[in-house]
Amino acid sequence: MQLNVTPTIMQNKPKNMNDKIVKIVLLSFTLLSSSFIFIVAGTILLKGITPFITQNLGLGKVSLISFLTGDTWLIGEAFQSNLYSVGFIIVSTLMIALLSLLVSFPIGVLTALFIAKVALKRLANILRTVIELLASIPSIIYGLFGAGIILNLVYNLSAAFGYQSKGGNSMLASVLVIAIMTIPTITSISEVAIRSVDKKLEEGSLALGASKTQTHFKVVLFAAKSGIFTSAILGVGRALGEATAVSLVAGGRRSGYSFDLLDTTSTLTTIMLEGMKETTGLDYDIRFSVGIVLIVVIILTNLILNWIKRKVGNVDVK
Amino acid sequence: MLMLNKRKTYDITMQTLTYLSSLVSIVVLLAIVFFVFQKGYKLLSWDLMTHNYQSVTYIADLKDDQSSGVFISPKTFDEDTFYSIKWGIALKDDENLIGGTSVFVTYIHPDSPLNALNNKGVGVEDIYVKEDYQIIRIAFDGSSSALAIHGAKHMIEVLDTQNSFRELEFSTTGGGIRGSIITTLYLIVLTLVFALPIGVGAAIYLTEYAKNNRFTRFLRQMIETLTGIPSIIYGLMGLAVFVHLTIRLTDATGANIISGALTLTVILLPVIIRTTEESLKVVPDDYRFASLALGASQTQTTFKVVLPNATAGILTATLLAIGRIIGESAALVFAIGTAVKDDIRLTEKSTSLAVHIWSMMTDEPANIELSSTIALIILAIVLVLNISIKLLSKRMLRKQGVKR
Repeated sequence: MQLNVTPTIMQNKPKNMNDKIVKIVLLSFTLLSSSFIFIVAGTILLKGITPFITQNLGLGKVSLISFLTGDTWLIGEAFQSNLYSVGFIIVSTLMIALLSLLVSFPIGVLTALFIAKVALKRLANILRTVIELLASIPSIIYGLFGAGIILNLVYNLSAAFGYQSKGGNSMLASVLVIAIMTIPTITSISEVAIRSVDKKLEEGSLALGASKTQTHFKVVLFAAKSGIFTSAILGVGRALGEATAVSLVAGGRRSGYSFDLLDTTSTLTTIMLEGMKETTGLDYDIRFSVGIVLIVVIILTNLILNWIKRKVGNVDVK
Repeated sequence: MLMLNKRKTYDITMQTLTYLSSLVSIVVLLAIVFFVFQKGYKLLSWDLMTHNYQSVTYIADLKDDQSSGVFISPKTFDEDTFYSIKWGIALKDDENLIGGTSVFVTYIHPDSPLNALNNKGVGVEDIYVKEDYQIIRIAFDGSSSALAIHGAKHMIEVLDTQNSFRELEFSTTGGGIRGSIITTLYLIVLTLVFALPIGVGAAIYLTEYAKNNRFTRFLRQMIETLTGIPSIIYGLMGLAVFVHLTIRLTDATGANIISGALTLTVILLPVIIRTTEESLKVVPDDYRFASLALGASQTQTTFKVVLPNATAGILTATLLAIGRIIGESAALVFAIGTAVKDDIRLTEKSTSLAVHIWSMMTDEPANIELSSTIALIILAIVLVLNISIKLLSKRMLRKQGVKR
């Protein structure tokens, strides 16, 4: 828990008027900062439920059940309907997040192991800098990279399989872009976890005759699994919330459940970004509803993963 | 023996996997840098940063009292630049920002009649030809027009045979990113003006004033929770709250730079608070005791003793914030809009550099070249910021080491 560094003498000192005013001003700054979470949650919630409880200027109520399970997203002035469903988008969002984790998790964890245990100090430092740099590259640049390089790769790959993809815009491209973006997150957190594994465990394993590699994979990684799992949770969080980068490679699917890796797709974030022109009416309000869905999806995923983490990783070796 | 062999294979496979995985990050970083550089460096120039994005095309004719004359150029031109003594204008074939060739004005004589022309179209009445503008077409009465596709040499030759022209079509320089650079600077300044006092103030309260009770822990928890929210959600909030707020308080009619800065403020507060708190915590308590023992009040101690010793941390927070402002795109798409503008006003829509990329990449057709050039600029800034932060924290650690 947080340690309070303020010495008690300081708090017991008789205060003058000036001190009191300063304290109140600083407290108000703190209150303001911590109130934003309620402002964010409140606005999204209030705006997000209007499509379900009002008549939306004659378009009729949006049905909550079809919103959550349907497979058509009709946006734009041409349609003027209340047919907005994110069911298929929720599925593709989760699929993209989990598939990208499937790519980035092994790579990230192994890189972390390499930095923490295998590499010489200088090489480890270089790699650590590389990871830091990757983490600080803005997501829009990953998107640009995806649109310039990964789309071509996917396009050529699908062409090799005799499949006509929409210029490479596909679920596979989204998965790859997000995987690249989450590697630094996973690596940096896993590395800390791996480094904090008790040296004695390692020595014990080596003394029993296990090779260094065996020790790394069967003892060190196992001992650090709680921290490694945390990195995966944060990685999934980043994957679910990522918006602009994915929007450049997803292709914007408007209807139909699709589990095809080479077909176009949409995520909850890209559908929010699409056609950002209206500022009134249902087209505008529905984005907030998607926002609620996104937050709920993130919270639920977090809860489930944390539950798994407690089930699997309760071996506290430290 | 068999077992040992098996173990060896296991070792080698796993080691290879580890090495390969580590290679991925390096390859990805190199690929990104190489891609952005290779696509973007061609357009990178000072002109790009000072020019407008939108190029405006005008059709002009001569003012009644103006006609051709003799304008001796004070300077000489190189071989591929052509000068018309009659009109006092030098033209040159050159590559435009999109990659095609056009006829550019390289010099215009101060007394040339082209310095004051009539606008035949709508808009401002008085227009003029300036250096770096493109000449598209010059039409004459009773003879064929001089077109840009025939090149600068032909245009000058035709121009020198004529004493007047019917109309002159030219366009101002476009394709630049001056507007987005200005917006980004505005955003940095405004956001820091909002976020730094609040963030540093809150950090001071949390470390120096607050008692370690349930209420303080609650406040801290709420601030921490903000970091987990995806930026696109902040964008929605900015659109619903700050855009409406600025419309009510200023003459803004939609998303604008101020609402963008306010949205960024909310995103950055947790970062600034946490970084500042960390730097305040490492200021030794002895300093506080000494100051208080000398009779200073708590306010004096905080602001004159503790805070100056935490400047490195606050500077780090500022640099982190600047990096985040430059890179943020999803939230800003909602909070300041996606319209690329040249005439930047605080209460109007415009784009930061990152949103400029997004805006161009979602257009049909996507402009990858210019996007990469902007990305190159952003990458360079991010790199410099990163190195500065590293150096700063190294210095901070060294300073503490000496102190303690």
